[in-house]
Amino acid sequence: MKKRQALKFTALALAAGLCAGSVWAQQTTLRVFVGPNQRPDLQQKLFQEYNKANPNVKVEIETGGATSELQRQYLSTVLNAKDSAIDLFLIDIVNPAQYSSKGWIEPLDKYVGGPAALRNDYLPVYQQANVIDGKVFAMPSQGDAMFMYYRKDLLAKYGVAEPKTWDELAAAAKKIMAGEGNANLQGLSIQGAPIEGAVCTFLLPYWGQGKQFNDAGGKLTLDKPAAVKGLNAWLGMVDQGVIKKNVAEVKTPDTVNEFKAGQVVFAINWGFAFDRFKDDADSKVKGQVGVMPLPAMAGGKSATCMGGWQWAMNAYSTHKDEAGKLIKFLSSKQASAFVAKEGSILPVFQSVYADPEVNKVVPWFKDALPVVLAAQSRPMVNDYGQVSDIIRTTTSAILARTKTPEAGVDEIAARVGRLMR
Amino acid sequence: MLSKLRDPSEKTLAVMLLSPAFALLLAIVVYPIGKLIYNSLFAIDKDGAFLGLQNYVDVWQDPLFWNATQNTLLITLITVPGALIVGLALALLANLPFKRKWPVRLSLLLPWALPLSFAGLIFAWFFHTEYGVVNDVLMRLGLQDEPTSWLLKPRWAFAAICLTIIWKTASFMALILLAGLQMIPRSLYEAAEVDGANLWQQFWQITIPMLMPSIVVALIFRTITALQTFDIPYTMTKGGPGEATETLAMLIHKYTIDYSDIGFGSTLAVFMFVISLVVTGFYLNHIGKNAA
Repeated sequence: MKKRQALKFTALALAAGLCAGSVWAQQTTLRVFVGPNQRPDLQQKLFQEYNKANPNVKVEIETGGATSELQRQYLSTVLNAKDSAIDLFLIDIVNPAQYSSKGWIEPLDKYVGGPAALRNDYLPVYQQANVIDGKVFAMPSQGDAMFMYYRKDLLAKYGVAEPKTWDELAAAAKKIMAGEGNANLQGLSIQGAPIEGAVCTFLLPYWGQGKQFNDAGGKLTLDKPAAVKGLNAWLGMVDQGVIKKNVAEVKTPDTVNEFKAGQVVFAINWGFAFDRFKDDADSKVKGQVGVMPLPAMAGGKSATCMGGWQWAMNAYSTHKDEAGKLIKFLSSKQASAFVAKEGSILPVFQSVYADPEVNKVVPWFKDALPVVLAAQSRPMVNDYGQVSDIIRTTTSAILARTKTPEAGVDEIAARVGRLMR
Repeated sequence: MLSKLRDPSEKTLAVMLLSPAFALLLAIVVYPIGKLIYNSLFAIDKDGAFLGLQNYVDVWQDPLFWNATQNTLLITLITVPGALIVGLALALLANLPFKRKWPVRLSLLLPWALPLSFAGLIFAWFFHTEYGVVNDVLMRLGLQDEPTSWLLKPRWAFAAICLTIIWKTASFMALILLAGLQMIPRSLYEAAEVDGANLWQQFWQITIPMLMPSIVVALIFRTITALQTFDIPYTMTKGGPGEATETLAMLIHKYTIDYSDIGFGSTLAVFMFVISLVVTGFYLNHIGKNAA
């Protein structure tokens, strides 16, 4: 008897489950991957807003991987396995070429209206990065670039103007450090650990001489003497005590935390850091943070490293239509203005930089536009993962002084040259 | 056929009982290894050209492969005997007749229970130039005037990694050896005392020979895991400075995950498989036989 009852109960439960299942089927759940630095909290608000207008689409957020490399590792594991679990993901500006060459991401032309959709107001660098062989593979969402942050109070105290060249910066830093007499005060903080930021550490003083790393076709055009000169500029500042000796250990968050603690005069970091200096409860430099374009090498021109995050669609997704509509919403001007206001995230649209609503919250965006327009992007090649690894590992070893700049640059030229020809 | 299954002979029964385990082994051991070799041989390059044995030639000529192999073997040669000696000392200590045994056992277990990457991260902080306790202690003792960047100097970084691995793995050795120690009958030592043997003689004539089977088992396990060293150098130095502390397992991870080059990564893994096979075979053939 008991057995029969149990059987009946199971049948009932199964039937109920099937009914619920058919109701569920009209509701689509999209799973989205967002890195922890790309403000999942703000994305959540955007998804809620989207859900109000499209009640049948629910969005779930997955987050993980503290850095760009870790996120790339995670996503390439998922995508190599042709997993359909994640429908959309936010990827770094350096990734669309690699992902599209592997067939991991879906062309978006059908959903956003072809490359024309990226022209007019989007920043030019995002038009280049996201269109591959005439097809749109990702849509820009958050802008980012490397800026030079400085202590307004200290520069004013010692009557130092914003330096325009690296030599001026070193002189200014030394003057302030000598005056303050604080052994913990660093002149300049850059990232020398073998992380993605070290690729920019390699490129900044190289670009700052007006040199190009690659041509439009993605072929390596490395000027070896200029690259050596750039690296020697960093090592020279280490010798002068402007940059600390263990720079090869410094990661992006170290620079943020040390600047926040008031231990740094000048710091190179991504745009997101400004919000941390301004708002974090433990920031000792609130109201004293200035932002300026990066200095140039003597006789060169200022150049910075472009970053930023784009929405891309999993080629193995089973909800492509719904995902396509969501991407269109997430890459809209309205969404860009929202994250700019709420999170001080650099807009991907030129006009949003001058939006009065946005400027009320983040006044420095007005001055950021010329910096961003002049910014350069890291090489966008299919093998970027490998190119980046070679550059950052070698740069870090040079800054740790286990390789000479000459030997390191030769190694980069030879190994990257094989991947970019 | 059916009647045969209902009343199986001894032989049929054996086949029936073994087949589930065999199928499982086939699925989780033989298939992945087969797929690995397939991936390494049947890879295609970017333009779709068939590579065949080219991957094997490329690996053989890759200086990074030889660098990683050398690092891996060096780590094995240093940390396996290192962990054995420290582990044996710990096991002898834990085998002393303490009143309460559990605090000793617990402190033996703790490093073993800690995930490898935690151990790596903790020791990376110990050796950090500015925030590390190692520099702090050395400077307080007046042994150095300026902090040393341990993990930025190839040799020191290598030494720091070996030290961490020994700390982490000695407790596993100690656990196996402690079990072995407790199997040795007390009467042997009593007899030796009657015969006038001192402690040193007792150790070499009784403890070590009686412990040999445990030592061999511990060595085999430890050597195989040492050849696969990944977590601790990955979290401590990421293979740096440059490639000075990169192991074979890290190189495989780099090619397959970071570079998405499954073919080349698989070929590297085949090489690592062969190295492990040779080393394990050596153990089983030489040391294993002598101990038995």
